[in-house]
Amino acid sequence: MSEMTTVRPELTEAALEAAPPGRLKDDPILITFGMLKTFGGIRAVDIDHLEIERGTITAIIGPNGAGKTTLFNLLTGFDRPDQGSWRLDGRPLGGLPPHRIARLGMVRTFQLTKSLSRLTVLENMAVAAQTQRGERLERALLRWLWLPEEERVMTRAVELLERFGIEHMADEQAGTLSGGQRKLLEMARALMADPELVMLDEPTAGVNPALTESLLEHIRNLNAEGVTIVFVEHNMDVVMDISDWVVVMAQGRILTEGAPEEVVANEEVIDAYLGRAREAVDEAVEEAEGEEGDG
Amino acid sequence: MEFDVIFGNAARAGLGPQAAIFALAAIGLNLHFGYAGLLNFGQVGFMMLGAYGTAIMVATWGGSLWLGIPFGLGLCVAFALALGIPTLRLRSDYFAITTIAAAEILRLLIRSSPATDITGGPFGLQAIANSFYDLNFLPDGRFGIGTFSYSSNQLWVMIVAWVLVVLCSALVLGLIKSPWGRVVRAIREDEDAVLSLGKNTVAYKLQALAIGGVIGGLAGVIDVLQQSGVGSENFEPQVTFFAWAALILGGLATTVGPVVGAVLFWFLREGVESFIRELSAENWLPNVLADFLDGAEGAISVVLMGIGLVGLMALRPQGIFGRRRNLHLGT
Ligand SMILES: Nc1ncnc2c1ncn2[C@@H]1O[C@H](COP(=O)(O)OP(=O)(O)OP(=O)(O)O)[C@@H](O)[C@H]1O
Ligand SMILES: [Mg+2]
Repeated sequence: MSEMTTVRPELTEAALEAAPPGRLKDDPILITFGMLKTFGGIRAVDIDHLEIERGTITAIIGPNGAGKTTLFNLLTGFDRPDQGSWRLDGRPLGGLPPHRIARLGMVRTFQLTKSLSRLTVLENMAVAAQTQRGERLERALLRWLWLPEEERVMTRAVELLERFGIEHMADEQAGTLSGGQRKLLEMARALMADPELVMLDEPTAGVNPALTESLLEHIRNLNAEGVTIVFVEHNMDVVMDISDWVVVMAQGRILTEGAPEEVVANEEVIDAYLGRAREAVDEAVEEAEGEEGDG
Repeated sequence: MEFDVIFGNAARAGLGPQAAIFALAAIGLNLHFGYAGLLNFGQVGFMMLGAYGTAIMVATWGGSLWLGIPFGLGLCVAFALALGIPTLRLRSDYFAITTIAAAEILRLLIRSSPATDITGGPFGLQAIANSFYDLNFLPDGRFGIGTFSYSSNQLWVMIVAWVLVVLCSALVLGLIKSPWGRVVRAIREDEDAVLSLGKNTVAYKLQALAIGGVIGGLAGVIDVLQQSGVGSENFEPQVTFFAWAALILGGLATTVGPVVGAVLFWFLREGVESFIRELSAENWLPNVLADFLDGAEGAISVVLMGIGLVGLMALRPQGIFGRRRNLHLGT
């Protein structure tokens, strides 16, 4: 076991008893077996078993460096595990490149927002549409082959932008968006790819409270439409607010998982593993707000 | 001072086959870097393969020129794949270093003595473009006024070359305005984001590399046609950097940028060289300076161009046609 056991063995055992990790789900969309990733000597991710229930909103929480982003990278093919296998809808994903995994319906966003700066907001959206005929080189110059499809893509893109309240920016270059708008765009763009499972890495980081509220609303609506959502979050209020299930990570391992009330009731877990992170995030948010106010 | 001579020389260079050759090379580079974000420092390698592929087919194997040209361009595609498949998955700096090394290795191989039987080694290959000039329908004689004039055959090459420049510009524009081009431009912005949206970015980068490389290969073909021969000394690394200079001068990621950049580059280069020559001829320079410059007009011209380009970067970093705003939206 990792260091923490030796530091506070009683805590870990208590936590394990309350909500043992690796719980089986009724209808898992994603199943992970024995996932291990080390960086040098650090076990960044070391997870025996994890299942994500279809149609739910699952929050992954844990202090900085817990391995949340690394887990996302592994699951979405952006990084290769040292060991382990995982399945989406029963399909093994090990060894598949990230674009293949995305095409199978697991689409991620990034902790540091990745907007395509010198493309317009609308183009950002259009890039995400799947299996476009005009994206094939041999058809690129044959406009009549893809123009009708392009119109459908644009209509859909505008619809989504409207839904996310950034349609007025459609023709602006994405690099001109504010931080919060970029988060919205990245999420809208992920939806444009028609995912079954969306993995959001800190969707509300650096976003002001009003915008956070609307982001959460989008996540809820999306879920209501049947999309499974996994998201990393530091803000416990947000976690309590929208998640059906909470997975607590620390030092690469799943410390515990359970319904939000279950996990939050485990005071020790929260104090030990979220207290610090929570403070840090609260501070960061305050700072960001301060900056926004100045500008 | 004979300004008409200077201007005539400058204009002849700016509209001449050399300018068209560099315009083509720069159009290819613009697709590579301006749109796809690929740092290709080996464009001269593509030009070399286009040129030598054509020349070898005709001079060594006795084939037709019209077979040689597609053969040369086919070699460009092969070169793109050979360069791209191992390196385009890696970080972009690996690719950049590989391109410059690969082009230079290719040149050394072509001029090496074991290759002499095929490539002519240090002597190059001659008498290649006869069937091209057989098609020249222009009357004999010179066209133009003063120093701004071309022979019939030169004009014939120029017409073909500039038509190709227009066609390639249109091709790139058409591709870039398509959904394919949208993915390519998106990769330039952030490859991981595009991967996360289910696009096979390596395939797009390979395609962009091959197309831009074939356009560079066409530049090499024009070079063979205008000289009716090839020599490896025409394909030193500086050729790539002149093409980059033209592209940056005109403006990245614009349609006319590489073309206007190439014209301006040759206009200025020849103009300055001619100006210095005139200065010496008229004894306007102190003797010390005149002796120093004697025979080095070309080199001095390039140096001044370099200084001018640095100045341009300070005042107008986006080039002549680029949009300044884009520079501030870097990732
Ligand atoms: N590419 C890398 N090379 C080396 N170490 C890495 C790399 N990526 C992550 N790590 C290490 O792996 C551990 C887990 O990092 P990770 O980014 O997954 O944490 P996280 O839970 O997402 O943290 P945060 O809340 O700060 O985003 C950390 O100790 C980190 O330093
Ligand atoms: Mg993280």
